[in-house]
Amino acid sequence: MPDRVTEPGPRPAVLVYRHPGAPTPVLRQVCAGVEEEGVPTDVVDVPGPDDAPPPSAVALAHAAAGESRLGVGIGLDSSGAAAVHHGTLPEGTPVDTTPARAFPSDWRRVGRTAARVVKHLPLG
Amino acid sequence: MGAREGGPLGERLVVGVDIGNSTTEACLAVVAPDGSITYLGTDLTRTTGVKGTPDNTEGALKAIRGTLTRAGRSAGEVGTVLLNEATPVISGLAMETITETIITESTMIGHNPTTPGGEGLGVGTTRSIAELGERQPGEPVVCVVPHGWDFDDVAATLNAAVAAGVDVVAAILAGDDAVLVTNRLTRPIPVVDEVSAVEKVPLGMLAAVEVAPPGRTIRTLSNSYGLATVFGLDPAQTRQVSPVARALTGNRSAVVVRTPTGDVTDRRIPVGELVLHGAGKTLRVDVDAGAEAIMEVVGRAQPLDDARGEPGTHVGGMLAQVRDTMADVMDIAGQPDVPVSEIAIRDVLAVDTFVPAEVRGGLAGEVALENAVALAAMVRTSRSRMQLVADLVSEGLGTAAEIGGVEGEMAVGGALTTPGVDRPVAVLDLGGGSTDAALLTREGECTAVHVAGAGELVTKLIDSELALGDRDVAEGVKWFPLGKVESFFHLRHEDGTVEFVDQPLPPHVFARVVVLTADGPAPVPTRHGLDHVRRVRREAKRRVFVVNALRALRQVAPGGNLRALEFVVLLGGSALDFEIPDMIADALAPYGIVCGTGNVLGTEGPRNAVASGLVRAHTARLAEEARCPTG
Repeated sequence: MPDRVTEPGPRPAVLVYRHPGAPTPVLRQVCAGVEEEGVPTDVVDVPGPDDAPPPSAVALAHAAAGESRLGVGIGLDSSGAAAVHHGTLPEGTPVDTTPARAFPSDWRRVGRTAARVVKHLPLG
Repeated sequence: MGAREGGPLGERLVVGVDIGNSTTEACLAVVAPDGSITYLGTDLTRTTGVKGTPDNTEGALKAIRGTLTRAGRSAGEVGTVLLNEATPVISGLAMETITETIITESTMIGHNPTTPGGEGLGVGTTRSIAELGERQPGEPVVCVVPHGWDFDDVAATLNAAVAAGVDVVAAILAGDDAVLVTNRLTRPIPVVDEVSAVEKVPLGMLAAVEVAPPGRTIRTLSNSYGLATVFGLDPAQTRQVSPVARALTGNRSAVVVRTPTGDVTDRRIPVGELVLHGAGKTLRVDVDAGAEAIMEVVGRAQPLDDARGEPGTHVGGMLAQVRDTMADVMDIAGQPDVPVSEIAIRDVLAVDTFVPAEVRGGLAGEVALENAVALAAMVRTSRSRMQLVADLVSEGLGTAAEIGGVEGEMAVGGALTTPGVDRPVAVLDLGGGSTDAALLTREGECTAVHVAGAGELVTKLIDSELALGDRDVAEGVKWFPLGKVESFFHLRHEDGTVEFVDQPLPPHVFARVVVLTADGPAPVPTRHGLDHVRRVRREAKRRVFVVNALRALRQVAPGGNLRALEFVVLLGGSALDFEIPDMIADALAPYGIVCGTGNVLGTEGPRNAVASGLVRAHTARLAEEARCPTG
């Protein structure tokens, strides 16, 4: 059962599925990227099953997008990689990804991209 | 005449070849002894090299061989290859801005960050965030935050300063953090962010920061009297800052810093006079007066002998630039160079336009729309070397090759094969560099004119007005209808219809205005909406092709009267455009003219008119010779 890190509000939000091992700075900058665009986030810890390898950022993002009422999800895996997904897209084609070793500006971009999908604004 | 040509009594295989600026077209036909023509096929390839130069041979041979292969004939069977004599004009383009906005002393930041923070107006003295703790309580402060500050630290510092009694009324940030910072403040203030050159903001000066609510534009800093109220200006100073107010109109956020000598100037660059010689007159027109005034004077100086610009002015520079390029094109290795002074400009098309230019002295990459004028100019050249191309084609193919006729006349002949067309017929060849018109009267007389400005100018206008900075993207905007990607699975076309797609659209086109190319949607890199891009595209086409269609047809119409024309056939690459033919037909409808895109031979559309016209003209000449043999 995933643990909620933030309380879900009455409003829909971009859902962030985070592996508990994901570095804190990544989560902070990703959420800042969404917030700067004026879109709310809900963060959920997803440890994944014990008997399988930890889920990838893309898999987490896909699951989060399916669950989000806005249809937009972000996944952060234990290595620090991040991904953005939309509920209508096949799992293999995420909207955006960053590798495990990236810069704060990349994490910020991931958050901004997720928010701009919600707002129907160009992502670039 | 060789035996294989069969003489006037046998069947004869001929190929018409039209070497154009961008494409080379060929038309293969059999001429029967009775003079009837059977068309066997056509081919089209890219022109190799600059039109009218020996480099064209390769493309011409490729097109000829293409038609032969398709028709299952061999080069040995060909009697004659007929080449077009090139239209004796070449054209050039120049564009110059005639206004310029300059910010001196970094007094204004008028950009539109996508996400400013807070709202309202804050007026205070600019202070760096690093020295905020040292300020006296009570003094209104506009806090300037350089690069490298984290949003939590900025918010904590501002909150601490406010708690200590410092009256922080606004903030200017380097990074994209305005919403993050305002969300963490105990006292809400307007925040402008993404000011890339924030270190140039003068400190210790009175400044005003304004952010409008979402969906609104600023009210105070875009109003001259608002600025006067904020900064306590007298009438003379108010007059001085009014360009600032104008430059900020329409923004959601802005910063104005009052420095002792700072200024925003809206400078009008002296453009100079255009001097037109023609019709036995010398007329002068100030280019500042705009395209309409210029074209009115050009009309009075028809036919134009030459056009010059006042030396030392913009227009002088523009025409000199055009002349230089043309001299380069006309120079032939091994022959003396064409003296630039001998190049006479025989037509000019002026178009009003605007160029979004980065403001000089701006701190955040501000862009101002500057007025500009674009000039297309055309010169006559006697240096076409089509005869040399014909010799090379003859050598390469092993058959006779000759110049079969001048483009304009040949095009009319080809256009007559369009179903439903009869004499008198006028053709409009909508090309890349020039727009050409030719009229064939009922009596068989043919007149042709060439006017400056065509497809290349349209591309240039679209490129500069949308600030694309990429000719290929501008070509795309010109050629293809627009759409807006509305989700990963549907896009809305410019006419409003919505199309669902089976494969997800890629993220780089998401929510963007796109051109619908054959390879799928391609993004148009602009912040403008679809309607704006569409308007720019259609206006560019109208100002060039509709204006030129009327100008060219008036010059060939008997007595300059458009009502005397009956059939107008549109030819050339731009006749394939999805809207230009409709725009021209709309413009000609009031004159009772039947106008439409040509369908040469009933199958070729607006293509191949010159190539098939060459075959027709050649056949007519053979018939003439058969009637009165010259021996």
